[in-house]
Amino acid sequence: MKNYLIIFFLVSISVSPQTTSFDFYSPENIKKFADHLFCEADYLRAIEQYGLISKDCTTDFKVMLGYSLLNLYQESNEIFKSISEKSKFYSDAYLLSLKNSLLMKPASVSAQAIKSFDSIQLNSFNKLKTISMLFDDELSISKDKFISPFDENDINTVSLFYDMKTKPLYKSPALAGVMSAVIPGSGKMYVGEWGDGITAFLATGLLAFLAYDNFRADHTTRAWIFTGLGTFFYAGNIYGSIASAQIFNAKINFEFNEGLKLFLEQKNYFLPEYDFCK
Amino acid sequence: MTSVSKIFFILFFILNVSYRTLAQNSFEHQFNFANELYAKGKYFDAVTELKRLLFFDVTGKFSYEANKIIGLSYKQGAKFSDAIHYFSLAELNADSEEEVYEARIEAIKINILRRTTERTLALLDELRNDERYSDKSDELNYWTGWAYIFSDKWEKASISFSAIVPGHGLALLCDSLADDLYNPTLAKTLSLIPGAGQFYTGEYISGLISIGWNVLWGYLTINAFMEDRIFDGLVIGTLLWWRFYSGNIQNAEKFAVEKNLEKTNNALQYLKNNYDGEKP
Amino acid sequence: MQSKLLIFLLSVLFISSAFCQIEKLKWQKADILYEKQNHYNKRNYSFESDNAGEFVTKSLANAYWFFISDVDGDNCPFHPTCSAFLIQSIKETNIFQASLIFLDRFTRDMNLVKSQNQYPRVRTGYFYDPPGNYMLVKERIIYLPPVFIVESE
Repeated sequence: MKNYLIIFFLVSISVSPQTTSFDFYSPENIKKFADHLFCEADYLRAIEQYGLISKDCTTDFKVMLGYSLLNLYQESNEIFKSISEKSKFYSDAYLLSLKNSLLMKPASVSAQAIKSFDSIQLNSFNKLKTISMLFDDELSISKDKFISPFDENDINTVSLFYDMKTKPLYKSPALAGVMSAVIPGSGKMYVGEWGDGITAFLATGLLAFLAYDNFRADHTTRAWIFTGLGTFFYAGNIYGSIASAQIFNAKINFEFNEGLKLFLEQKNYFLPEYDFCK
Repeated sequence: MTSVSKIFFILFFILNVSYRTLAQNSFEHQFNFANELYAKGKYFDAVTELKRLLFFDVTGKFSYEANKIIGLSYKQGAKFSDAIHYFSLAELNADSEEEVYEARIEAIKINILRRTTERTLALLDELRNDERYSDKSDELNYWTGWAYIFSDKWEKASISFSAIVPGHGLALLCDSLADDLYNPTLAKTLSLIPGAGQFYTGEYISGLISIGWNVLWGYLTINAFMEDRIFDGLVIGTLLWWRFYSGNIQNAEKFAVEKNLEKTNNALQYLKNNYDGEKP
Repeated sequence: MQSKLLIFLLSVLFISSAFCQIEKLKWQKADILYEKQNHYNKRNYSFESDNAGEFVTKSLANAYWFFISDVDGDNCPFHPTCSAFLIQSIKETNIFQASLIFLDRFTRDMNLVKSQNQYPRVRTGYFYDPPGNYMLVKERIIYLPPVFIVESE
């Protein structure tokens, strides 16, 4: 009888329901779930799950990358501070931290290359550092040196940005003002605001004509009213031409910055692509 | 066998069976845990736990329920497109006609809330024309009514509710509101007589000011023409009289629309906070 | 042993502070409003001002709004409206500069062929044209492309 008992005991243990007893919160399963979330682009949840398990090089970097992809650049760089130099992802994290800093505050990269860069990473670094010079007010590098780190298919675009930065197509507010003083509305037309320029010309012209006409017909009060109005509009047109030239220049700057940001986004800031989800 | 070994055998048998039953329910346990989080209002966490369940549930036993509750959680966070996405996943994983219907109704409710009326009505029509749900016409009329409420069509809403039962509470509310609203087209037409449109919408001071200006410029224009000062007459007529005349029409319409908006918003607020029936 | 305890405590702190951050970022229950948004411009009829000059201007503006502007229809395609534009300019500069800015705005309003590609818009469809762009101070200019819709106004 005892033998049967022992056999029954052993059999029942071996046929334990393995598939239905499930530990959702074992470190292994949490990691699998977190990896899945990361690949589904649910970065916030993935970061939360990685926080529940013990850290390793890959999860640290994935958390840093996740924060960056969520546009939380400050938090991403905080994670970078805790990534050890010996980590296999240190160089990648270093590059990512440069991208984060650029997105937080567009300015030229002052950091230096690190020894652990491989050739691809060094290439990325050089491109990023060079292109970031465009965010400074003045460019102090020659065009040849500027375009040297880039690939053939990017050289034209980068070259264009260099030209736009060094020779911007600004309009002179002073010139616009003087032009409008000589011929009302011409300053605005110089800036490209043809409709506004012609309107200013017609308005000032009409008032001047009405003033002159009324003086000739000896309607002195009316004439003086029109003269006054005409003078006001004339002064307003000069002021407006100066202002519109300034706005035009602000537009040039805006288009340059937005264009540059778009280009960098397209190129992922020249950083290598990471695919953790093959 | 000895009595000790008998006891041992029985105990062990009981333990084994209960262990198996408990272990079998670890997925159930996870599902219940997620539901508890939803009930407590921790919607983000509820979604996380349900996604965890779905990831490991290879049998797909929980696919419908979990996706549905994820959709409901996103709805609570006002993340409507995510909610709809998960309701469609729920529908794809539905095991019965009833479940398909439930998932579709949830999607319809989201469409009502985000005011995509055309889509809502199309979805409702689809269900109406589906033979499987021929017994659901009352419920479909109910949600059609709500769709019209959210798109400002109070008379149509009233008709939909009345189709469920004449004298339905919501039908009465819609009717009384529709009667109370101003008609912007009427306001504009009345304004052909300056001030009349504004009086209609209850803005008496504005109406009087409009009448004043229109009389003044009208008099000056006609006077100028009668005195043969054609140019002056044209200038006053077009630059001043026309401006104030068309202004009075525009004004009356604006008052009608603004006051209607206030009344409908009050009704909507009442429905949100005080109405006890089912809401989207 | 002590250092192990320290490391354990620090890691708990780190993990919990990481959690706190995530707690802040997680979305919460939202109050779903049934009411429709009211986009209509409400006039600011207040008489508040910093000095006598401003008080006079504001009173004149209020009178203009009440008797004339509110009844002559919607004639200004800009936001802020020309009168509000003038008030704001006077607040920020002086009456002389403000009148120049205003005259320029008036001229631009008279432009019958105002291009669709000149000004960004606000949600209600008016052209967004803040007085800050016309103070002749480069740093104050907020340029927005014409396709842009300003949500905050």
